[in-house]
Amino acid sequence: MAMPSNKNKNAKLVLLGDVGTGKSSLVLRFVKGQFIEFQESTIGAAFFSQTVSVNDESVKFEIWDTAGQERYHSLAPMYYRGAAAAIIVYDLTNPASFTRAKKWVQELQAQGNANTIMALAGNKADMLEARKVTEEEAKTYAQENGLFFMETSAKTALNVNDIFYEIAKKLVQAQTVAPNPSGMILMDRPADQATPRTSSCCA
Amino acid sequence: MDASSRRSWDRTVLEPFVEIDLAEIAGLSSATPLSIRSVSLFSDSHQTLVLIGTGGGKLLLLSLDPSSKSIELLRSVSISNRPIESIEILTEIDRILVLSDGFLFLVDRLLLQVARKLGFIKDVTAVVKRLGFGDSLNLDFSGDGLLKADVSSAGQRLLQKLGSGIRANGLKQLRVSESHRDKESNCLIAVAALKRLVLVELTVSATIDVDFDYGGISVRLKEMQGVEGVKTMAWIGDSVIVGSLDGYMLFSASSGKCTPIFSLPESSGPPKLLPLLRSKEVLLLVDNVGVIVNDVGQPVGGSLVFQYVPDSIVEMSSHVIVARDSKMELYRRKTGTSIQSLNFTKSGSGPCVVVSDEQRSGETVVVATSHKAIFLHKVSAEEQIKDLLRKNNFKEAISLLEEVESEGEITEEMLSFIHAQLGFLLLFDLHFEEAVNHFLLSKTMQPSEVFPFIMRDPNRWSHLVPRNRYWGLHPPPIPLEDVVDDGLMAIQRGVFLRKAGVDTSADEDFLSNLPSKAELLESGIKNIIRYLCVSRNKDLIPSVREGVDTLLMYLYRALNHVDDMEQLASSENSCVVEELESLLGDSGHLRTLAFLYASKGISSKALSIWHILARNYSTGLWKDTSISVEHDLPDVSIDSISGQKAAAIEASKLLEESADEDLVLEHLGWIAEIDQDLAVLILTSDKRVNQLPPEEVLKAIDPKKVEIQQRYLQWLIEDQDSEDIRFHTLYALSLAKSAIEAIEGTSGNVDSKADHEKKVSDVDSGPGNSIREKLQVFLQVSDLYDPEEVLDLIGRSELWLEKAILCKKMGQETLVLEILALKLEDCEAAEQYCAEIGRDDAYMRLLDLYLDPEDGKAPMFDAAVRLLHNHGESLDPLQVLEKLSPEMPLQLASNTILRMLRARVHHHHQGQIVHNISKAMNLDAQLARIEERSRYVQISDESICDSCHARLGTKLFAMYPDDSIVCYKCYRRLGESVSARGHDFQQDPVFKQGWLVTR
Repeated sequence: MAMPSNKNKNAKLVLLGDVGTGKSSLVLRFVKGQFIEFQESTIGAAFFSQTVSVNDESVKFEIWDTAGQERYHSLAPMYYRGAAAAIIVYDLTNPASFTRAKKWVQELQAQGNANTIMALAGNKADMLEARKVTEEEAKTYAQENGLFFMETSAKTALNVNDIFYEIAKKLVQAQTVAPNPSGMILMDRPADQATPRTSSCCA
Repeated sequence: MDASSRRSWDRTVLEPFVEIDLAEIAGLSSATPLSIRSVSLFSDSHQTLVLIGTGGGKLLLLSLDPSSKSIELLRSVSISNRPIESIEILTEIDRILVLSDGFLFLVDRLLLQVARKLGFIKDVTAVVKRLGFGDSLNLDFSGDGLLKADVSSAGQRLLQKLGSGIRANGLKQLRVSESHRDKESNCLIAVAALKRLVLVELTVSATIDVDFDYGGISVRLKEMQGVEGVKTMAWIGDSVIVGSLDGYMLFSASSGKCTPIFSLPESSGPPKLLPLLRSKEVLLLVDNVGVIVNDVGQPVGGSLVFQYVPDSIVEMSSHVIVARDSKMELYRRKTGTSIQSLNFTKSGSGPCVVVSDEQRSGETVVVATSHKAIFLHKVSAEEQIKDLLRKNNFKEAISLLEEVESEGEITEEMLSFIHAQLGFLLLFDLHFEEAVNHFLLSKTMQPSEVFPFIMRDPNRWSHLVPRNRYWGLHPPPIPLEDVVDDGLMAIQRGVFLRKAGVDTSADEDFLSNLPSKAELLESGIKNIIRYLCVSRNKDLIPSVREGVDTLLMYLYRALNHVDDMEQLASSENSCVVEELESLLGDSGHLRTLAFLYASKGISSKALSIWHILARNYSTGLWKDTSISVEHDLPDVSIDSISGQKAAAIEASKLLEESADEDLVLEHLGWIAEIDQDLAVLILTSDKRVNQLPPEEVLKAIDPKKVEIQQRYLQWLIEDQDSEDIRFHTLYALSLAKSAIEAIEGTSGNVDSKADHEKKVSDVDSGPGNSIREKLQVFLQVSDLYDPEEVLDLIGRSELWLEKAILCKKMGQETLVLEILALKLEDCEAAEQYCAEIGRDDAYMRLLDLYLDPEDGKAPMFDAAVRLLHNHGESLDPLQVLEKLSPEMPLQLASNTILRMLRARVHHHHQGQIVHNISKAMNLDAQLARIEERSRYVQISDESICDSCHARLGTKLFAMYPDDSIVCYKCYRRLGESVSARGHDFQQDPVFKQGWLVTR
């Protein structure tokens, strides 16, 4: 497959966020419909794929669930490079994780692909009594930075499928507006345009 | 993914087979141990060669004989006095490349010659051979040896050239043509030294277009910059992936472009990478995490998480092996599951090295821990599965089987073999459903292999059962009942042992919830039925097919699945009747047996069973005491009726197709007793090719079963168009007899009670009338019966109309008229008959009859008047007047005469009107004809004949009333009545407005 067909496209999606915000839980809920109370901390990155249908088109997400630990931060660029979409996850009971999410947004805006669709997910929406980050605050931030925002709960499945579906919808729309934005669509071998945005040498 | 799911340590993928102490094998005393720093494996035609580099700069060549598993030192050479860091085997140019003390050395494969130092480069930190996977990479070694795309400026380049002082000059000679170069053996390696990355081409030839020459090996270089402190490298296709203390990056060998992959976190271990040959990917190590990227540096799949930060990593088939200290762990590449862990005795300090001959067979792995090297070989998937099965670890065996299947590491045949073996084991373990599931997954297993579970040996099919024992892990097949008994005994033993505190391998589920024998047997039978049902659809040899069907019936019977039995017996099957006959008979499955006989074409036996069944039903013999207790009497009678009927229906189905006259006539009787319709159906069936001889049939039909006889005759005459006078006569007589009986029944002069009842029922349904109608119609239509015989029969009955028909047939006009006019007083029919005769004298005779009926009857003047009114014009008035008797009352006579005269005048007037109208029409037509003929037609040059399409010009032409014009020739050809447009005026006259009578 040199070019993905119009009806069936692959999209690289990366999840970023502080440790313990529930990235793996969100993916597990979306991909397998499961929830594990004591989800192990992700090491390196985990890979999943899941297909979403938007109207008569289908988007196959290739999901990279990255490790939230600071130690693996240096691996993140490899995963978000060329991503069609990114979900930045924070824990709405933990203000520090929201701060970390903002840093991820900054990093993506600076380093990532300008076409990457960014979604901000305030996870753990089932723990409202412990909420520390208000919905308004996150919403305002999201609007200012052109993100698309949802509060989610991997535990209750609130908005989990919705956030992925919204991304798929935006991908399909973006596809129709700009037929082939570079870096939006994963190719099997993007050798010709591997990293058009990085400088030619690190030195 | 939780930790437990990542581990399944019951596997033995690798098995150590020999362990050596290096010093010992080198013939040195153990006081001067040799520490192993690098190992490389390669194979030639008959042996595996092992190269070991020591900490003291020695290179040892060992040979490993895979069959005898013996290790022998072939040769050893000293390369330097520093540790040998790495050994690359360059098969393409038949050399070995060794890295030691920052220098590269080339040595021949068998260490026969002196090692040559590659003097053009020093401070080498890593070297790697390109893995091209058969594709060729065209590197530009021309010019000054530097890349066009090199990022360093010209000035820097010059400085470096001078500084290094190793660059050869004058390399602008002719380029070797591509085709020429392909024929040479060459090899590409990447060398990292200080701040440089050099791509080197080593060629076996004496080409002058080279940078250096080392004992028949010429060297060309290409240099890249921008990288420092390289520790590890891999070169896959165009990509050189390097790992330095900062992190990993990717160089394009052709363009020189550098792309960072990721940087290493603080205080992490040294970079380590492993090219994965199978998938053309590279595993990059960060701490204990293996990140896999493809040849363009994009991540592929999730990370592998190892137990510890490994010293050494190696790939072996679909596994990744890591080693550290004296531990070794095996991971499945796809899932990241750890599947085997091995520990060795530690033999000294120093890193642990693990290598495999992945580029070759991928079957041998060497782990070196300081002074010792342990050789392991891969246990084949089959052996692993066999081992697990031997340990009764079915679950693990199945999951391993699924893994190797999904990775295509197993042949279809082996897969089928293992499924069958698994099935047998599970079956003896009383897991019948799973067992059959595996049987069904095996494409090579023969259905006959389950026969011994169903029928005790020896039997009809014993010789068909393949003596296939698979891995011999299960006992030979025995009847299912014995399997269950043995299995239950084993479980009970397990329970006992468990109570005694002894651990057993018995099934947990069974131990906690002991199943009953009946349950198990039923489950076993059900599942084997399932297997046989699927097997039935396979392409089997006839004898096996017979076995499958017969044993299937056998099993259905064991479960008393009557519906399935009957379904099988009545559909197309290969059951062996002799095997089942007595069995089904004894167990009372007579219906099944009858179906079976029928499907095998043994109709006579099937029919006698149906006969017996029908008789039993009627006498209540079929009744089971248990059933009669439960049911009320009326139900039973209904059941017996329907049972009887069902038997008759099944029997009639057979007879309808049978052309065996004796058989049909033998069974016709009892079926007719149950249902006359069925009997008729049998006789009149069109399913048989040769019809039954009618004489025999008629003889065989019970004379009391008049209806059957009549319907059969009717069918013979109406459907079979029989023209045999006897049948027509017989049919007419039979119908007449029935009609007479019906009439006598309704006429009321009967006294017997039985007849009275019959009459009541007949009145309700009116068969007398319908039979009379039938009789009348038949008498009218058929000309083939003998009317005299019939007339004889009905002569004294009141069937006057029938008599009239018969007389008509015999041409006795007077008699007919008498009956119609006098007996039936049906004037209309009488007049109709006169019209049929068509002579005037018939009317005259009828009038005669009306006026003089004789037998003392009064003249029927009304009828006479009516006749005169209707047909008076065709009667001679004189004759009529003569006929009128003098006794006739004047009033009636005058009436008659008046009518007759008036009718004549009326007819005269009518005729005049018709005459005049015709005349007027004739006139009209003449006028129209004149008008039509006086029409003008304009012919131009363009006018053509409508028929032959020739120009008319000055030719004669004709015009039809539909305005079509034809030339005279065509007119002659077409004639007057059909126009050129195909209008046929004779069939479809033309009328034009104005032609019709309007004036």
